Amino acid sequence: MTVGAAWRDGVRRVNGAPLIVAGMFTFTLLLALPLSIALRGMIEAHLDDSLTAAAAADGTDLDWWNEFSAQASGLGTTFVPSIVGFGAVLDNLGGLLDNLPMAATIAGATVAWMILWSFLSGGVLDRYARQRPTRTHGFFAACGTHFWRFVRLGVLMWLIYGILFAWIHPLLFDELFPWITRDTTVERTAFLVRVALYGVFGALLIGCNLVFDYARIRIVVEDRHSAIGSFVAGARFVRRNPATVRLYLLNASVFLLLALAYALLSPGAPGGFAIWVALAIGQLYILVRHYLKLLFYASQIAYFQGALAHASYTAAPQVVWPDSPAAESIGNASPML
Amino acid sequence: MAFSILAGAGAAQRGQPQPPRDPTTPTTAAQAAAPATTARSPRNANYAITARLDPASRTLTGEELVTWRNPASIAAPSLRFHLYYNAWRNTRSSFLRERLRAGADDLERRSDADWGWIDVTSVKLVPASGAPIDLSSRLRFIAPDDGNTEDRTVAEVVLDSPVAPGETVNVQVAWSSHIPRTFARTGAVGNFYFIAQWFPKIGVYQDTGWNCHQFHSATEFFSDFGVYDVRLTVPDGWIVGATGVERGRRDQGDGTTTHHYSADDVHDFAWTTSPDYVERIERFGHAGLPPVSMRLLLQPEHARQADRHFQAARAALRYYGEWYGPYPYSNITIVDPAWQSGAGGMEYPMLFTAGTRWLAPRRAADPEDVTVHEAGHQFWYGIVANNEFEHAWMDEGINTFSTARVLDQFFGPQYYSKRYFGRFVPWVFDDIPLRRATDGNYLDAYRQHPYLDNESLPTWQYWPADAWVTTYTKTALWLHTLERMLGWETLQKILSTFFDRYAFKHPQPRDFFAVVNEVSGRDLTWFFDQVYRSSATFDYAVDSFTSERIRDRGVFGDTSAKGAATVSADVYRTSVVVRRRADGIFPVDVKVTFENGQDARWTWDGRERWKAFEVERPARAVSVQVDPERILLLDAHYTNNSKTLEPMTRAAGRKWSLTWLIWLQDHLLTYGFFI
Repeated sequence: MTVGAAWRDGVRRVNGAPLIVAGMFTFTLLLALPLSIALRGMIEAHLDDSLTAAAAADGTDLDWWNEFSAQASGLGTTFVPSIVGFGAVLDNLGGLLDNLPMAATIAGATVAWMILWSFLSGGVLDRYARQRPTRTHGFFAACGTHFWRFVRLGVLMWLIYGILFAWIHPLLFDELFPWITRDTTVERTAFLVRVALYGVFGALLIGCNLVFDYARIRIVVEDRHSAIGSFVAGARFVRRNPATVRLYLLNASVFLLLALAYALLSPGAPGGFAIWVALAIGQLYILVRHYLKLLFYASQIAYFQGALAHASYTAAPQVVWPDSPAAESIGNASPML
Repeated sequence: MAFSILAGAGAAQRGQPQPPRDPTTPTTAAQAAAPATTARSPRNANYAITARLDPASRTLTGEELVTWRNPASIAAPSLRFHLYYNAWRNTRSSFLRERLRAGADDLERRSDADWGWIDVTSVKLVPASGAPIDLSSRLRFIAPDDGNTEDRTVAEVVLDSPVAPGETVNVQVAWSSHIPRTFARTGAVGNFYFIAQWFPKIGVYQDTGWNCHQFHSATEFFSDFGVYDVRLTVPDGWIVGATGVERGRRDQGDGTTTHHYSADDVHDFAWTTSPDYVERIERFGHAGLPPVSMRLLLQPEHARQADRHFQAARAALRYYGEWYGPYPYSNITIVDPAWQSGAGGMEYPMLFTAGTRWLAPRRAADPEDVTVHEAGHQFWYGIVANNEFEHAWMDEGINTFSTARVLDQFFGPQYYSKRYFGRFVPWVFDDIPLRRATDGNYLDAYRQHPYLDNESLPTWQYWPADAWVTTYTKTALWLHTLERMLGWETLQKILSTFFDRYAFKHPQPRDFFAVVNEVSGRDLTWFFDQVYRSSATFDYAVDSFTSERIRDRGVFGDTSAKGAATVSADVYRTSVVVRRRADGIFPVDVKVTFENGQDARWTWDGRERWKAFEVERPARAVSVQVDPERILLLDAHYTNNSKTLEPMTRAAGRKWSLTWLIWLQDHLLTYGFFI
């Protein structure tokens, strides 16, 4: 299967299950919403019944924002001017690539989101692999079946990513970069060095990411139980199929196009009715980000299955679904004599 | 090498010009002191310097002839010199101890070659006649500020006979120094050299004795005016920029060239050299102001930003010239320092360093902000030469205030920006405009450091980490408060009077306050007691606010005839309680706005902790504000200065929490990369 065909097949699979996109979007929204409500409380408490609220509602009052930040703690410290519009994307991408620390509340929410997403991704991958509706029962059965395997794989994953971010990243950016550019007096040259180092680090990240992606896919498609075994199998598959890298880069390019479009279209934080348009564009961007993340999954599954002897093969996991307590007690009851 | 004091001990010498024997080497004190133009300043500290840079070893060797006249009314039994480079000799210097105390953590990365020092190799007093008297053995380091015996930034030489008031001495000093990787804007990186505070510099002698402070991490400099005649030898092909005007060049035939500069009526001399500079020259001209030749030394990667530097320098020369007084020199040099040189944003007479980035969006503040600011220092520091060790606010504060005013006046709106990806890639937030009163005066920095030093303390005694906030920000904020109190016309007159009266002099804070009172016609001592002679903070707030139809209950009128009753009227009673939540006292207005557009206004002296106001009107009140025009910019918590009965709080909370929600969702998806 070619990369293009796998990608198109991925699009077909994602489009064929719109509820998955909607569900994952809703899941993210529901997880983020309580924090947003908590922040709203902080903002309203600070603004109180002041006239400043009108200025804040109608535009952007940087002085008020700075005043808020000066007294903020916890979650409030993340409410900074750079969250506006495309700044949000740069803030997050920059934070990840530069390994910047995050507020404890946000770190907690991120970990919770990742665990829950991991749980749901078992059902998502299963749905895309089967290319047929699995219904709620089947979806969550797959989630449950694969979750602990993903957890075991996750331990390995965090170990490897931990090495990358706790050791390789500081080595590249806190040691090597200053050393290389120590006597550089041309900023452009230093920037190119940094870009090259991002390239090195990005290649390592993408390499690991690819292997873990296909490890998860092999867990689901081949009903593998061993995390280490699936990791090795994932690595073997990536090594034997360089097209997986091209497919990954194709998906990444589409994300960059989306980011570019958001940079051009994002209206920031205007006042009046325009804010609703801005928020709608923001949510549309988030929805498309979900779509693209799921497209990663679907296209990679399509490519993997296309490489199997029997295309579209999916091993049926042993789904054990508990009976109702009543049925179980009947089943366990001693035969009537 | 020789650090000599040429002294006409006992006999006053008034600098008499003598022709130099070698055009590149001055040989007498008189030559150094030769006035080239009509003196604008006292010219009592004149220098003839020759120096040679060796880039391979990063050393600078030099010799100077100091012609110093005692301007005080008392005799000087000794001479004191600043040796600023010794601040970077080791971490035992007062400068680096203060930096470490303030939390500096970049010293560990310095290699052995990154430290700097200056060794005086000889000091000779050169009498009017006879052989020079070698005083090198008398040189000793002193620490007049903190008694730190390890500090070598001030040296003293005791004389056989004191220098009488008005008497002139000639001192010949030789030295060798190692140029550090930049400290305090001075040093080198790669082929970029910025050389400031580089020569043994005589202190300021006053009626109270020597004012010659050690080098401190949070303060700058103080010197007397004079004439500088400087010959700098650098490798062939290297471009030199310096204080003053280039008078000539001479190829030494050994791969080096000597550049000859001179400057009159300046109190310092700095220079830069690099083979990489791109040079541009333009002329400043504006009706009513003298023309100025502007020389810009740019990094090649910033060549396309030349117009921005010139435009900003023009704006400063024009507005400072119109508001305060004309720039008196014929030349100015703008230096765009190399990346990571750490030399950006610093002022020296007739030369300053700006600072920009490879990617510098026009809607963001730099390089315009830094260029206007440093050009502005030509006026506040260069011409009105206050003691920056003791009263740095006098130049930095006035200049910060003025910079914000020029940017607001001359340039289009500027916006909040942030740099990403190793701080290389800028992004400008077009929704977040910067405002002069708050952003231009750096209110947020003041807000974040509320426990500041009393501003009237000598600056070198401020807590070093936050000294800049008191010096720059707090001063700019109270000057802007003065502008709002008195009006710009009055404040401009105050500043121009102060400028005119103290140009080429060393004013004290009391001089400034006296001019304020004189020109404004008001005794503003109370104001300076609050903002300058105390560390008080300010916070006025609306505590409660109601506006309801009158409905009084109880017994009214003659109690024998009537029982209890409820009295209603078609009139609203509006009640306001305002509070003073901090120590600072400032008179404020309280303004209530009614539904029909009318308002009621009271003036409160702001002294008590709270004050209640009540008014009855046929219309319901909608809002109340304390200090509605925001005159008191030092009130850093302005949100609590108002209340409205029709709040938009929910709308604002909804808007911003939903905007933040998108950031959080994007954050989760970004870190979703891992799963």
